[in-house]
Amino acid sequence: MSYAVEMRRITKRFGPVTALDDVSLAVIPGTIHAIVGENGAGKSTLVKALYGAHRPDSGEIVIRGHAVTIANSAQALALNIGMVSQHYGIIGELSVLDNLTLGAEGGPFPDRHAARRRAESLAARLGTTLDWDAPAHRLSAAAAQRLEILKLLWRDAKIMILDEPTAMLSPADSDRLFESLRTLVAEGTTILLVTHRLPEVMAHCQRVTVLRQGRLTGDFPVSETDPDQLTEAIIGRRPIDAAARAVGETVQTVFDHGPNSAPIRLRVTDLALRGTGARAKLAPTNLSLPAGEVIGIAGVDGSGQAELFQALLGVAPHTGRLEWNGADISATSTRERLALGFRIIAEDRLAQAVVPDWSVLENAVLGLHRHPAYQRQGWIRPAPKRDWARRVADQYQARYASVDAPMSSLSGGNQQRVVVARATESDPQLILAFQPSRGLDLGAIQAVYTRFLELAAAGSTVLVVSFDLEELQRYCHRAFVMYDGQLAEAPDLRSETLGAMMLGQGFAPRAASPEVAA
Amino acid sequence: MIARIGWIIGAVLLIVGLLLAGGVDPAAAATKLVQSSLGTPRAIAGTLEQTTPLLIAAVGVFIALRAGLFNIGIEGQFLVGALAATQLALAFPTGAGAVAALLGGGIAGAAWAWPAGAIRAYRNGHEVISTIMLNSVALALTDYLVAGPLRDPAKGTAATFDLDPAARLPQLWAGPGYGISASLILAVVLVIATHLWRIRRVAGYELDLVGANPTAAPQMGVRVAPVQVVAMMASGAIGGLAGAVQVLAFEGRFYQGISPGYGFDALGIALLAGPSTLVLIPVSLLFGALAKGSVALQLIGVTKGFVTVIAGIFILIAAIVRVRREATHD
Repeated sequence: MSYAVEMRRITKRFGPVTALDDVSLAVIPGTIHAIVGENGAGKSTLVKALYGAHRPDSGEIVIRGHAVTIANSAQALALNIGMVSQHYGIIGELSVLDNLTLGAEGGPFPDRHAARRRAESLAARLGTTLDWDAPAHRLSAAAAQRLEILKLLWRDAKIMILDEPTAMLSPADSDRLFESLRTLVAEGTTILLVTHRLPEVMAHCQRVTVLRQGRLTGDFPVSETDPDQLTEAIIGRRPIDAAARAVGETVQTVFDHGPNSAPIRLRVTDLALRGTGARAKLAPTNLSLPAGEVIGIAGVDGSGQAELFQALLGVAPHTGRLEWNGADISATSTRERLALGFRIIAEDRLAQAVVPDWSVLENAVLGLHRHPAYQRQGWIRPAPKRDWARRVADQYQARYASVDAPMSSLSGGNQQRVVVARATESDPQLILAFQPSRGLDLGAIQAVYTRFLELAAAGSTVLVVSFDLEELQRYCHRAFVMYDGQLAEAPDLRSETLGAMMLGQGFAPRAASPEVAA
Repeated sequence: MIARIGWIIGAVLLIVGLLLAGGVDPAAAATKLVQSSLGTPRAIAGTLEQTTPLLIAAVGVFIALRAGLFNIGIEGQFLVGALAATQLALAFPTGAGAVAALLGGGIAGAAWAWPAGAIRAYRNGHEVISTIMLNSVALALTDYLVAGPLRDPAKGTAATFDLDPAARLPQLWAGPGYGISASLILAVVLVIATHLWRIRRVAGYELDLVGANPTAAPQMGVRVAPVQVVAMMASGAIGGLAGAVQVLAFEGRFYQGISPGYGFDALGIALLAGPSTLVLIPVSLLFGALAKGSVALQLIGVTKGFVTVIAGIFILIAAIVRVRREATHD
């Protein structure tokens, strides 16, 4: 049989680290082929080798029966191979149509009318449409991703690599994505899907390749495998069920104690953003957070979760009243709230949570740099800072060369481990965690939520925004739902309850906020 | 590393090619350049004299750059600082007057930079444009003042009265007809202090954070706007200080055209030095030597403009090497 893509015995080293060790992969044309594995297992390195971003040290790449060398993305595209990475290559100031055609206009004097007609027909293939003239920064996360896929269609990609495409999508948007992918596959496109989510593999993929620590540990037709077998291939022989059960019991124990009688930590009254149009994003909100709980916030992405967190942290100017242990802190700055023990795991890691060019060491104290442990009267204390950085990096077993290595040398999942540990290990009183599991593998997700539960048991409050209902159901004591800028508590954590609320059930209708490309 | 050496060799070949095209013997030009800038004690003193204002002004540019701001306005801040220092030193012709003049030059420079910082921080107007415009205002204003109300009528050109030697910065060491000014120590101390401030003070850390990731800074309890204003004013203060030093240490008066473009050379130095404060010193020395040597080079037929071209090639190569390094970071 002729494969669309064959990668034979690929080995790739980065200095002393072997990222890929003798890995082979064969992809049948017209299928969705999943590549799964923990962070640092080599998934991204493997697909980047196919896209020309990394050159393998040894091994062979065969495309449609021909051995090829792929040195850069242009060569990959010439072979009809395209990739949508986790960070979109979209220029916010340009229009959606300009982003689509950028670099592939077809000559110095492109015919915009023809371009638009072609764009529309490509979008129709995906079963979608976009506002072509709107500036691209207005696109929602899901629409931006559709634009990325359209860019590949525009360039006639027949082999598409998608790196964690559902990481930031709501369940409904994920379903839409896979519907589109099924259409493309039916037309003969071949898709390589890098993912953490086993349900996606089981539901939508035909074949799955498993990597662990750079080695191939599994290669199955999906019809002949099951999640247990895959989990074992992904994480080895770690007793995942026992760990999950232990966490479940912790939650259960808390529930068994009946309604939480702990004092209210944070009481929020009529919280709203200041500024024109701000009320459309966050309606006046009331919220009482007791000590000792992990509290989930479910909701479709863009329902006001980010705005709520930014207001609670004091980054976004707001009106309304915030009481912390009974004291009015409405007028306090972010700095003062950090000193009270507020900690954020921000939505956008690169833009809000790290400085990629800085060392792990300097990143480890971001936001804690005024903490008395790391400075005295404005003088930085290097030794405690260094000890702290090691602790932060090791808490969730991030893979890194040294704390002096730049943050950008860590994989996304390892950066996330540092960001999460920075919040959980610094005596947090209130953690605002936005998608804390983003980019993490199963083992790390468990470790992070277990830590959240430990912190809650010790009296902290953890507020978690997640688009993964299962995560919230498994680890949260209770949950709120955000819909269209409004917040309401869910009476229970059943999927039907949360799902209905996420779609607006039980919320008062408001004037619709304008959104490009529904 | 190999690529970097390749670029440097390429730069040297380009310079050699340009010299040959201009009908100049490259070996003779190189010898002359080294001779005239480093060959004798007098040459070295001259190079250090050229280096001092460049180094101070480069620290000014550098501080703004670390906060993510391009202070193109050092030239204007230099001029107002120099003129303010001149007037203070004329009014108080004593050693204390010299100190007051240094401070006054700094304050004048900071005041001149403030609008650019505030416009950027609170109105999102780009500092490159506002500082360039402020340069024009500073140039016109100082030209007018020195040609009019502040002019020494006994002089044939537009210049102020000469400073009393008591109000000038002392020589550290004096040779026959030349010397090394105490201002060199001031400049080096400024560099080291800036270096320590950046790596050991929380405020330095926050300034770097605002430059490195302005969208992350607010999440970390660091408000961007005040840091930008302070960084711009600190940058301007140091630019003004450079002007004050130029008057108090070397010129002894203010005159039209006192700056041959120190502010712009300082921009090149700061860009060339990259993220490290201490690297400002060797890069400033290189520019100082080029400035000193350019006069001698004219004697063998190399025009003054050509030295500017050489400095420009250095900056380009440094930019290329840095961009390549960042591009291969991933």
